[in-house]
Amino acid sequence: MITTEEKNIAKHCISHALSCGADGVRAYLNKCVSDSYTILNGELDKVTHSADRSIYLYLFVNGRYGTFSTNRLEEKELEDFVGKAIVMVRMLGEDACRQLPSPERTARDAVTGLELGLYDASHESMDADTMLANAMKLSIYDRLISGNEAKGYSLISEECEYSRTADDSYTVDSQGFEGRHMETTFGVFSEMTIKDTDGNKYSGYWWQSVPKAADTDFAECGAKALERAVSQIGPKKRRSGRYRMIVDTNVASRLVSPLLTALNATSIQQKMSFLEDSEGKKVFSEGMTLMDLARTPGKNGSRLFDTEGVATKDSAIIENGVVRQYFVNTYMALKMGVEPTVEDVSRPCLMPYIKGERLQSAEKEVSLKDLMKLAGNGILVSGFNGGNCNPVTGDFSFGIEGFAFSKGRITHPVREMLITGNIIELWNNLLAAGTDARESARWQIPSLAFDGVSFSA
Amino acid sequence: MKNNYLNIFKVTETQLQTLVGTALAHGGDYCDLYFEHTTFFNLLLKDGVVSSGGFHTDFGVGIRVLKGEKTGYAYSENTEMADMLAAAKAASAIASGTAAGGRTYMKVGDTMSDLYPMKENWRDRSADTFLPFMQELETAVSSRDRRIVKVIIRLSDSVSDVMMYNSLGELTYETRPMGSVTVTAVFQQGNKTENKSASRSFRMGAELIGPELMKELADEVVSGIDERFDAIRPKGGQMSVVMGAGASGILLHEAMGHAFEADFNRKGQSIFSDKMGKRVCPEGVDIIDDGTIAFNRGSGNYDDEGVPGEKTYMVKDGILCSYLHDRISASWYGVAPTGNGRRENFRYNPIPRMRATYMESGDADPEGIIASVRNGIYVNEFSNGQVKIGEGDFTFFVKSGHLIENGRLTAPVKDINIIGNGPHALTDIVAVGNDLKIDNGTWTCGKDQSVPVSCGMPTVLISSLTVGGE
Repeated sequence: MITTEEKNIAKHCISHALSCGADGVRAYLNKCVSDSYTILNGELDKVTHSADRSIYLYLFVNGRYGTFSTNRLEEKELEDFVGKAIVMVRMLGEDACRQLPSPERTARDAVTGLELGLYDASHESMDADTMLANAMKLSIYDRLISGNEAKGYSLISEECEYSRTADDSYTVDSQGFEGRHMETTFGVFSEMTIKDTDGNKYSGYWWQSVPKAADTDFAECGAKALERAVSQIGPKKRRSGRYRMIVDTNVASRLVSPLLTALNATSIQQKMSFLEDSEGKKVFSEGMTLMDLARTPGKNGSRLFDTEGVATKDSAIIENGVVRQYFVNTYMALKMGVEPTVEDVSRPCLMPYIKGERLQSAEKEVSLKDLMKLAGNGILVSGFNGGNCNPVTGDFSFGIEGFAFSKGRITHPVREMLITGNIIELWNNLLAAGTDARESARWQIPSLAFDGVSFSA
Repeated sequence: MKNNYLNIFKVTETQLQTLVGTALAHGGDYCDLYFEHTTFFNLLLKDGVVSSGGFHTDFGVGIRVLKGEKTGYAYSENTEMADMLAAAKAASAIASGTAAGGRTYMKVGDTMSDLYPMKENWRDRSADTFLPFMQELETAVSSRDRRIVKVIIRLSDSVSDVMMYNSLGELTYETRPMGSVTVTAVFQQGNKTENKSASRSFRMGAELIGPELMKELADEVVSGIDERFDAIRPKGGQMSVVMGAGASGILLHEAMGHAFEADFNRKGQSIFSDKMGKRVCPEGVDIIDDGTIAFNRGSGNYDDEGVPGEKTYMVKDGILCSYLHDRISASWYGVAPTGNGRRENFRYNPIPRMRATYMESGDADPEGIIASVRNGIYVNEFSNGQVKIGEGDFTFFVKSGHLIENGRLTAPVKDINIIGNGPHALTDIVAVGNDLKIDNGTWTCGKDQSVPVSCGMPTVLISSLTVGGE
């Protein structure tokens, strides 16, 4: 991974930029090695190997600012690159708010890059034969190629992939900050395409992504993908109207993403946020609590510092419906005259909740099935198909697929339907949030239940 | 010219042959090398000041080995022979220990003309030469509407030197420019806030930046804003939809373009995989994917496999007549590649991708099409879309449009998603207008990798799609 010599390249960029007239410099060096093995219908279909190395420079020159990157790291070329970058920054407009973060806000505990336990050194000894064998373990094609007609379907194709990635990044600035973050990712993926007896096609996929190779679950990937494809056979439309909606944890982050975008100070300062003037106010339902648990060891998404080098901390973003935090970087803090926080979210976690009853996750598990029982009748959304949320108004419209359910039990699949509304109103109609967020997900958003959602068909 | 490109990448033809020989040492059927040197440049104006910008350099070579339809791919971020040989050996692994293969990959012709000659090379322009344009554009936008409280302008360009060599001995090279400008304005009226964006993107040199572009963008970003403040959410459900000329081409991109990409069909995954030669649209409808429109964002003198760009009829007179092929699928189907093998950069292997996808004009009068609808919706501004390849279900997000009541445009609508099924939507085309328009916005397609595309459409009436609403 990143060597002392490569660290010195980043440091040299800083000293060279300062000697060319920069007032402040941050360098971000990234090195990434990745391999993937794709299996199509039980046979190896694609092998890819990649090795990347690049450096990003953030230059502050006489109240001016620019960002630059290159993967050409030879000393002479880099010096020329830095010199040209400084010349360009001098041409830009002055903005005194462009500054490095104050040193006391930067992280001091990200020294080795291994502190969070996200790096598995076993990847270094994993050879091509092992990765191919791992990919082949994912395939259940031989078991599926025939004999399923009686079950009402036949397999068209199975694609699965095993990948492993090692990512190492080193950030250093001209005020003395040094931080390193290392992580490995071992990924499995399977996608099944089937057809029913009428020739209608359906696809389903499943995946897992974990930092430790030993935690990889090879057994359930193909079966889950198949189950998800088969479950969609025989869809019917449900009449347009307002229904209770359950959103599966596997796709629930889609409804949190617009909130986090709107909480970013860059959006707010540019008047492109429906959460402007919301800090400290109760905007969402009483039971909604969204945390940023950035420093949880061993969990995907955790990190000790943000892109500016500012130390992360575990904190509330929304607490019992009250907006507690905007994401404010150094530039926006100075521009807006507010206190800086962190540049953006690391590992958002939505706390469990049932309307009228506060739950502690340690006390009670709340599954997708529990939510369906709670909701009684409605539509379970298992996938989103396109759509958007207006960043200024919060008005959204998304395509969905999933299942109608009655008395807590699935009755039939639905598709070609849409949900439409306003994202703030939607979250104010939160009935419940489960405890079933997937262990391996970066965003810990469990299955969700909402009341009174407008469906079109 | 050839030596210029060999010099950019510091390689000789002998070395290219050595790399191909190494990559095929384990018995692959075909090998190609993709050298790329790209410079990116960007400027951002916010709050009246161009206060950030930068440039970025990307350099490397991707090496691909094919054995049958199987792919081995690796790349090097430099062109030192030792590193390229290591990548060639890594890619060659696909052919190790596999008996499959024996497929023939055919030579292709050469391209005759440059679709995007640069009068002014972006690389020869410094940042300060663009600042007056951005400042003037900001003033032009702000002066058009007193409700504007923010203007954001992004100017970006890239220039890519590309050289490709393959085991058939074909050596191709070219330089690909791209310039884009996007303007976003935020409007406040009372306690309501709305935003609107306009963009233009072309494969052309810095001559793009000028007063004509400025006027187009400034006019477009403020047009229709009164209606946006007044817009409503329609009652949702199935209804007739009139797709306005231009950006409505997103319908073709999502409803059928992806499903016509030959990799999905080769694997049997596409809903159109058994429809070749069959009627998929009403008579008279022609749908094209075109890589030959001069200066178009989706065009290419060559695709990323060295195949010359071409105009490909996917649907002719309503009949499905061609998928979009890269070399792999073309070999598998026994047809010539169509120039659709594209990739994001040298880090990715090429796969079938769209270029400029559009429907040719019909003979209907656009106003007559609207007048023919009793109750429905007219849509003319869009953002993103998506499709499920196997099921054929597609969606696209409508930023603005109007209700149609008794043949007339009435209340404005905004922020609704529309969903349909590809084969059904195509057969439900009722009328095609005589007003084909190609949209030159910053369309980017994200099928595993991001590539620039464009789309176009005449005014078209579809008898039934599902519209999101309250």
